[in-house]
Amino acid sequence: MVTEYLDRRVEPARRLSRFLVFALAAILALSSLTARLFYLQITNGVEYSALAEQNRTALQSVPAPRGLIFDRKGRPLVTNAAMYSVKVRAADIPEDRRDEVVDRLAALLNKDVTEINTAIDSNPGSRFDLVRVAENVNEATAGIIAESRPELPGVEVAVEAVRQYPEGPLVSQILGYTGPISPEQYEDMRDDGYLRDDWIGKAGVEATYETDLRGVYGIESVAQNASGRRGDVLQTVRDTQPGSSLTLTIDIREQKLAEKALKWAMKSVGMTRGAFIVMNPQTGEVLALVSLPTYDNNDFARGISNKDYAKLLKNKDKPLTNHAVQAHYPPGSTFKLVTGTGALAEKVITPSTLVRTAPYLTLGGTRFYDWNHRGFGACNIYCGFGHSSDTFFFQMAGKLGADRLAKYAHMYGFGKPTGIDLPNEVAGIVPSNKWKENALGAPMFGGEVYQAGIGQGYDVVTPIQLINAYAALANGGKLYQPQIVREIVGPDGEVVRSFKPKLIHKLKVPKSVLTTMRKAARSVVTVRHTYNLVDMPIRVAGKSGTAEFGVRDSKGRLPYSQWFVGFVPKDPKRGSFAKPNSELMALAFAYDSRTVGNVATEIVKYYFMLHYGIKKDYRNHGLLERGNFYQSN
Amino acid sequence: MGLIRADSVRVTDWGTRSVGSAWRAFDLQLVTYAGLLVTVGLVMAYTNSLENGRLTFQAGTTFSRGLMWAGIAIVVFLIATAFDYKWFKTFAWPLYGVQLGLLVLTLAIGDGVSGAARWVRIGELTFQFSELGKVLMIIVLANYLGSRQGRLNSLPSILGACFLVAPPLALVMMQPDLGTSLVFAAILAGMLWMSGASLKWLVALAAIGVALIPFAWNNILRDYQKARLESFLNPQVDVQGAGYQLYQAQIAVGSGGWVGKGLTNGTQGQGDYLPVQATDFVFAVLAEELGFIGAIVLFILIGALIWRLLVGGWRSKDPFGTMFAAGMASMILFQVIVNVGMVLGIAPVTGIPLPFVTHGGASLVSMAIGLGIMQSINIRQGKRPDW
Repeated sequence: MVTEYLDRRVEPARRLSRFLVFALAAILALSSLTARLFYLQITNGVEYSALAEQNRTALQSVPAPRGLIFDRKGRPLVTNAAMYSVKVRAADIPEDRRDEVVDRLAALLNKDVTEINTAIDSNPGSRFDLVRVAENVNEATAGIIAESRPELPGVEVAVEAVRQYPEGPLVSQILGYTGPISPEQYEDMRDDGYLRDDWIGKAGVEATYETDLRGVYGIESVAQNASGRRGDVLQTVRDTQPGSSLTLTIDIREQKLAEKALKWAMKSVGMTRGAFIVMNPQTGEVLALVSLPTYDNNDFARGISNKDYAKLLKNKDKPLTNHAVQAHYPPGSTFKLVTGTGALAEKVITPSTLVRTAPYLTLGGTRFYDWNHRGFGACNIYCGFGHSSDTFFFQMAGKLGADRLAKYAHMYGFGKPTGIDLPNEVAGIVPSNKWKENALGAPMFGGEVYQAGIGQGYDVVTPIQLINAYAALANGGKLYQPQIVREIVGPDGEVVRSFKPKLIHKLKVPKSVLTTMRKAARSVVTVRHTYNLVDMPIRVAGKSGTAEFGVRDSKGRLPYSQWFVGFVPKDPKRGSFAKPNSELMALAFAYDSRTVGNVATEIVKYYFMLHYGIKKDYRNHGLLERGNFYQSN
Repeated sequence: MGLIRADSVRVTDWGTRSVGSAWRAFDLQLVTYAGLLVTVGLVMAYTNSLENGRLTFQAGTTFSRGLMWAGIAIVVFLIATAFDYKWFKTFAWPLYGVQLGLLVLTLAIGDGVSGAARWVRIGELTFQFSELGKVLMIIVLANYLGSRQGRLNSLPSILGACFLVAPPLALVMMQPDLGTSLVFAAILAGMLWMSGASLKWLVALAAIGVALIPFAWNNILRDYQKARLESFLNPQVDVQGAGYQLYQAQIAVGSGGWVGKGLTNGTQGQGDYLPVQATDFVFAVLAEELGFIGAIVLFILIGALIWRLLVGGWRSKDPFGTMFAAGMASMILFQVIVNVGMVLGIAPVTGIPLPFVTHGGASLVSMAIGLGIMQSINIRQGKRPDW
């Protein structure tokens, strides 16, 4: 039957050759696959193993506890607390559920949907990055979010360290705050080990001492899968090193007294802006630094809302600006220190030279009035500085000229940041012929030199510059860099950097000139230019100033600010100003203070009362009435 | 005996034989190799089912579905073996209609990734009819070529075979599924070759096929398909994009070494670095976890299976059987070359499953049907020839 069947076929159904070729092709194909497999697995196995290992592991940072900050007496100014924050990994949200997830999250966090979407979408990195969408979430909400994984895919609750500032607004201007790193900052800082969702010091010493406070983040290698999801820690590559702590030069007690004095005056007079600085002129240590209005850095540390931040930005008195270092104002008569020093050093006058003061001087057809429109008769430097005679210093400035005046201004540290360890310090302006040529294309006119001699016109200074200039006077000619951080202490308690005064330069004037100027500063008080300041049981030398700024009102009057900077001898009760031994000085700046008298003097007076525990009230409340200025320059 | 008989007149001699003689003709080796391959597939399904290193025994994991499909495949295989294959010759043309119908249905109601239509959803399960279509294609072609023995040197016979393959190939291409349509072409080529068709015409046909490549590139291929081919030709160009899968697959394979990292210990596979690792890239997981040795064992099993198919085809007195075996062998060989070649970076990325090992019900059940028919052919050829 088989043969019968085969016989029916005209041609054999099977050709051995075709079968053999097919089998050969199969063997060849499987052999070439084997060869390729051998090449990958055996020949290059080591390389591919390394690549697989690289794939499998990722390096991950372990944040270091941030260093703490203390005042000079060791009182804590910041602590680290735990905070819940909510983070989103975009890649883990299914595309078709994104809206639903964001809506739900927005409702739970009581936030705007667009705010969350913006946070997620503005992340420049990969979709696998965790992006923080909310900070400082309360425990109940955090719990709900952590437990609703199925409803909120891609949403995670993280515990992060948050800065808590127990003194709040009192030291906000000094401490500053930390906040989430901005995308621009991240681009700059990523090489230093910053993470995309990292926190960074944004203002105050939190910013200037960021590197010390931050410490060194640890690195560990962790298992990771293709979507960047991380698993077990495989190995610690670098140990975490906690940040160093700072001890400030600030004394919280002095800070509180300073703030109390400034706040009292602002409230009494209706001022909107002011600054107060207390300093040790022998070292450049800043004992207190107040700038009002201010903000609460705790708001920032917990992640400030856009609304609150916008409110702070909109405030015309700029609460986010530290007016003691980040803003400059015309110094007014306090600048006469520079003019007087210059006149004596350049021997325009001697301490006994009498200069005729007058109701006004005329220059190029313009009258330049003395502040009392009468003059003070024949005056030496003690009388001229003591009464703050404008015509006296017009003449001194005229004889010195703009450039020599500028030279002494620079010598006192004006026109250049002092270098205090706070961010964004401004330089102020010292006008010289060259400066005016550059800025306005013409040399200084005679009248402008007059104005410069009394701290008006182009001159602008920061409060810290001004107190620092007077510190150089009070300490006998050493211009120090003001400092706000006394010590840096490592995590193990070892002092990383101890305090050392930083000399910028010595004033190149004879000691006698400075002695004369100190005595002249004392005469400001003794001639009762500062009214009853002389009656206090402590000895104060100093200088007041009133400076016009801005735009004239309907009666042709300009608004004005007032200054007073004063220092006391080492022995406040009996000491003399012949010796440059003062260890305490204070400066008050009262912006737009429309009072009859000099409110800045009253603020410094009040601070000294509080500081020395003087029970009797020497404050001159009558002088604080609102009225026209220029009766007490 | 409960066996379905197709033609009691023509197979009277067979019908009077005992079950014992049918059993002797049953190719135990073929079943053994196929069974071992399915086991390898289940092992891979197991390792791909681990979540964080633990197996979750619940409905819906790759492993539990794999077990279910293996069970179905065994039943299907037994039915196909018992079923007299000669009926397929009788119903070849209706089956061709069924094949086209299934492919049209897939296009009409099918689901797939990003607008493709490859699977038909039946309740909880999805089924890829093009897999079944491949076996139906082999049946139709085996019937056609088997009945034209002796006339295969003529161009009309060869063209006829081509015209038979063209509609299903085009329908699959429209899904779009370049890989499966290439399998149809490979089945055609393999069967024509084994049918003894004239070399002259086969060469001419191949030349026309090659000449059509530029046309296909410009008019038929989708952009993603072109991207895959381009990234295959220039693997370094786009490591993060289309070339990423290839690159990761090669890392997986390469890091396997001689004996692999051990089952479930593959870092690439368990770390989700591999795309579609339960299906198209399952060989990468196998090579990573079981190493060179494991992959060679797989190749040997596949080679042995193809060998048993060829032996069955050679032994078949019925040209249909010879052709059917040739079709099955061509299909399996081509799929293995293309799938493994893709993972190893020597063939472009196409969605062709690795027979038996790739997780997928349609593929496995279709293979079971094919091998069942092969056994049906084996046990229905009367007495063993002497050779």
